[in-house]
This record gives sequence, C-alpha cells and structure tokens, in this order.
Amino acid sequence: MHSDADSNPSPLLAVDNLTLRFSSASGNVVDGVSFSVSPGETLCIVGESGCGKSVTALSLMGLLPMPPAQITAGSAMFDGKDLLRMPRREMAAIRGNRMAMIFQEPMTSLNPAYRIGDQIAEVVLRHRPVTRKQARARALEMLDRVKIPAAVKRLDDYPHQLSGGMRQRVMIAMALANDPALLIADEPTTALDVTIQAQILQLIRTLQEETGTALIMITHDLGVVAEVGDRVAVMYAGRIVEQGSVDDVFIDPQHPYTLGLMSSIPSLSKREGRLTTIPGMVPTVDTMPPGCRFAPRCPFAGAECKAAVPPLTDLSPGHAAACIRAPLEAEAHFDGAVA
Amino acid sequence: MTDVLDNEANDLLPARSGNRAWKKLKHNRSALLGLILVSFFIVAALAAPILPIADPAATSWSAIRKAPSAAHWLGTDEIGRDILSRMIWGARASLMAGVVSVIVATIIGVPLGLLSGYFGGWIDQVISRITDALLATPFLILAIALAAFLGPNLTNAMIAIGLSAMPKFVRLTRGQVLSVKTEDYVEGARAVGLADFSIISRYILPNVFAPVLVQATLTVATAIIAEASLSFLGLGQQPPDPSWGSMLNVAKNFLTQAPWMAWWPGAAIFLVVLGFNLLGDGLRDALDPREG
Repeated sequence: MHSDADSNPSPLLAVDNLTLRFSSASGNVVDGVSFSVSPGETLCIVGESGCGKSVTALSLMGLLPMPPAQITAGSAMFDGKDLLRMPRREMAAIRGNRMAMIFQEPMTSLNPAYRIGDQIAEVVLRHRPVTRKQARARALEMLDRVKIPAAVKRLDDYPHQLSGGMRQRVMIAMALANDPALLIADEPTTALDVTIQAQILQLIRTLQEETGTALIMITHDLGVVAEVGDRVAVMYAGRIVEQGSVDDVFIDPQHPYTLGLMSSIPSLSKREGRLTTIPGMVPTVDTMPPGCRFAPRCPFAGAECKAAVPPLTDLSPGHAAACIRAPLEAEAHFDGAVA
Repeated sequence: MTDVLDNEANDLLPARSGNRAWKKLKHNRSALLGLILVSFFIVAALAAPILPIADPAATSWSAIRKAPSAAHWLGTDEIGRDILSRMIWGARASLMAGVVSVIVATIIGVPLGLLSGYFGGWIDQVISRITDALLATPFLILAIALAAFLGPNLTNAMIAIGLSAMPKFVRLTRGQVLSVKTEDYVEGARAVGLADFSIISRYILPNVFAPVLVQATLTVATAIIAEASLSFLGLGQQPPDPSWGSMLNVAKNFLTQAPWMAWWPGAAIFLVVLGFNLLGDGLRDALDPREG
C-alpha cells in the first residue's frame, strides 16, 4: 500500500499555511500552520487547551461546522488531493477509510444503542465491498488486535457494558478497521487513568508499527510526546512555534515557550523549590498581540518581537523555531530569566 | 485468516441481553395494572369473532332497553341489541382507532422531526412553522374539522386523529434530535465517513426512540378519546357498526330510563384510557436512563 511512498520521500499529508477563523472572532484561531507527516511516522502536536490543535485536526477531517468556521488560506495535500477543498461526498469516502480519527472521550464516542461489533462492522461495510458476515469477521479480528479479552463475546456487548479503557480500544479498532494510511488521535488518553493511558499508548504504538500508519497525535502532555513521538510540533495561540524531532526539541528547545513547557514539568529526581510556571495567560482570539503571540509572556521579549511575526526558521536540519532570539544561548534558563 | 474468522463468526448469533426496561416495568405496580387493563381490552377485541356472544347488529323487539340480566349480561339498547356484544365489537373500533391513528402520527411525524432536527436550516424552518400552526389549533377541533372534511367514517376519523396528533411527534422528535446530534458518537459516525442516512437511521433514531415510544403510548389514550368524541358527534364509526362513542351518543337520550346504556361504554373508555396512561407512565420510568 505504501510502496510508492516508501521509495519516494514525499510526505503522506502536507499541510501548508492552514489559516482558519471563526465568524464570531476577529483573529485567526489557526494562523499559518504548516507541517507534514510521512508514512509510518508519528507527529505529535502539543500545546495547551485552546491553542488550536484540535481545531486543526477537525479541519483536516472536514468535521468543523462551516460556518461558523472558515478556512481563509492554506492547503492540506493528502493522496494528491487538497482535503480543505474536497467535496463533501468525496471527503466522506476518505474518512474512516484512508484517514481515521480517535477522539478524546471514549465514554461518549460510541453509540449507546448499537452493539460494538455492529458498529465496527458498519465502518467496514461503508468503505469495503464485503458481505455482512465478512465485516463481522473483520470486527472480531480488530477486537482481537486491540487486545480485548474474549473478543467473541464482546462483539455483542453494548458500550455501557465496557470500561473506559475498553471503549477506547473499541474506538481504536473502529478507526483502524479499514487500514487507514493516516490516523489522527485527538488526546486519546486524556480521559483515562494513568495505568490505562500507558496501555493505550503502547497499543497505538504497536498497531502503528504493524500497519505502517502515519499518526498525528494531538496532546497537551509532553510525557505522551516523549513516549510515542518521532517529531513534534509545538503550538501556541494558533501558530506552530517550534518543530523538530522529539530528541532535538526535548534536548535543545529553542523557542522560549517550549523552554517554559519543559521546565514546568515536575521532576522525580530533583525536588527544588516551586514548580516553574509560565507567567500570564494565553491571549484570547480577540486579543491576539501583534508580532509574536508569545511576546507578552516571554522573558526574552523586546520591542522588535512585537513589531513583526517571527517566521519559523530552520536552526538545524529538521528543527525550526519561530523566534528571533533563536538559537537561544545554551545557558539561558527560563526560570533564571524570570527570577 | 479471514476464512478462519469467517467460520468462527458463523456461530456468533447476536446474544440477547437481559431486558433491563422490562425488569423495571415488572416491578412497577401501576404500570402492570395498566398493562393488564390494556391487554384485557385487546384480547376481548381480538377474540370478538370467536366469543359466544350475540350478533352485535341483531335487533329484538321483545328485549328493548332491558336492564342487565342472565340473558343479556350488560342489558340491551333501544332497539334490543345485546350491549355486551356491542361493547366487545366496539372495542375493536376504539382500539384500532387508537393504534392506527398513532401509527399515522408517528409515521409522518417522526421522519419530519428527524429531518427538521438533523438538517436544520430552511428545512427546519418550514417544518417547524407548519408544526407551530397545527399546534396552535386545539387537537379535537382540528380532528373534527379534518374528519368532517374527509367524510364521516372510521377510516377517515383515524386519519384525522392521526394528522392532528402528528405535530406533537414532530416537535418531540426534533427536540430529541437536537440534543442527540451533538453527542460525540454522532461526530464519531461522521468521522468514519457514514452517510447522513446511516447516521440518522442508526445513530439518531435509536437514541430518540424511547421518548417517542412513551409519547406514542400516551397518545393512544388521547386518540381513543378522540375517536369516541368523533363517533359521539357522528363523525366516526357509522351505524349499525358499534363504537363506544356512538353508543354513548344514543345512550344520552335514555339516561333516566336506561342508564346502563351509558354506564358500560363510559366505563370502558375510562378504563382503557387509564390503562394506556398507566402503561405510558410506567414505560417512561422504565426507559429513563437517568434512573439506575
């Protein structure tokens, strides 16, 4: 399936300058976001609530209600076609087939009036020329693959008979039922408790290795990024502020916001004083500052930061940051600068 | 791999899960009473042709307006017909009117409500404004007007009652759809590429079904009263076929001489309507997901 993609380094999905606004707000919710994913690769989009990461994912799936949402610029090339300008019918044929999505809330994401086996089988029937029986067999196979014990019995369960972790497994089974080339997971573990989180992440990783699916993992949890990510894009207030391989970004963060995020993670090894936080609040869509949107909260900001939007600039191959101060001096520490 | 699974799947007939709603209904005494009342009338109506009762249209000049006796358990009417027999045959008209008109109301009302709630926009505007206009007219007045317009017989009465009850179903369904369609699983269904029709029929409809079922049961009671009212006014079942409403209409002329002529149809309407209301209330409790 991925043979031509393997021989050809061109990405599976290439998002370029995606710009999106809501009719109720003056600013752009997503502002000039560009990234790409290759087959088998995991891209994590990380950022705090309201930074536009989920909206980005929904717009790629064509699931944003328009209006009020409005895509004002950009393109998202997938299989040689622009997802953002695709007719409704064509989009529906791709969703659940070539690309699939896992949602945050497993407790409410399954139809309570519908046996889970039938729900998975329906997705297969929708996109594949198979019989009902074959679709049911595929549903069983998928339940097995997401390691649901006694899958045969579970096929005829209703969602309320399953725990949250089990339901998320069912959601994953449904999303992968048609071997999608791209899987978008929107905070798939946020609603689960920690032990289950680890299991689900492990499961997603294993399945991804088996199927060669490209994965976009949307999360606010840097721990998740470290666990599953190949590359990471850090979003702040609708823009990507830093992008690079997980190693590069974790070892040598170059944007002050990334630096702030890293130093606000509690550490197990050293307990020294208070946890660092980033002062201030994320600006709302209506009060976006001109220039760099992080400038009001940035300890390194100067007048020039408010003058113009800093472009995402390559610092080393595959590692880019949108800060005029980048590359930051290695010794510049976030907490030091604040104090 | 698929072949093996195929064979395995052959043995996998959908298992029937225990019906929680039925268990709850069983433990609800008034609902059970409603169920018994309703079943009693249904059985009587269905068994009418095989019961050893007199011909409901056979007159007898020697037994005019006789009080209840061993020969005529419920007495006779003004031209000597057996009231028990007419009651049982009349139950068919009443129950049929109740059920058929509710079927008419749901078959038209529920799809309109689904369309209106799911698609919104101008479709919703058109359907909702027509519904508002119909709801602004009192139920019985609308039914009488429609029945008079269509012509007086039982079939037309059922259609008239069904059409008059329909707007309630549109509004109820629409409201339910509005809340269900924001659920994550509907978004999920869209995310796996299902078409609108599949989403409506398998994700929306089953999840709005419970309140519609309750409303339908309660509306059967209303429709039975409406049919009796139309027949009382001569717009429903036509003589000589019996109906509780038309029996009451005749009985009102003999209230002092033969009060039993009014007792039985009055009591029957009361009991069957009570039965459907108790059953509907019980269903509402049993199907309410908020109560464990």
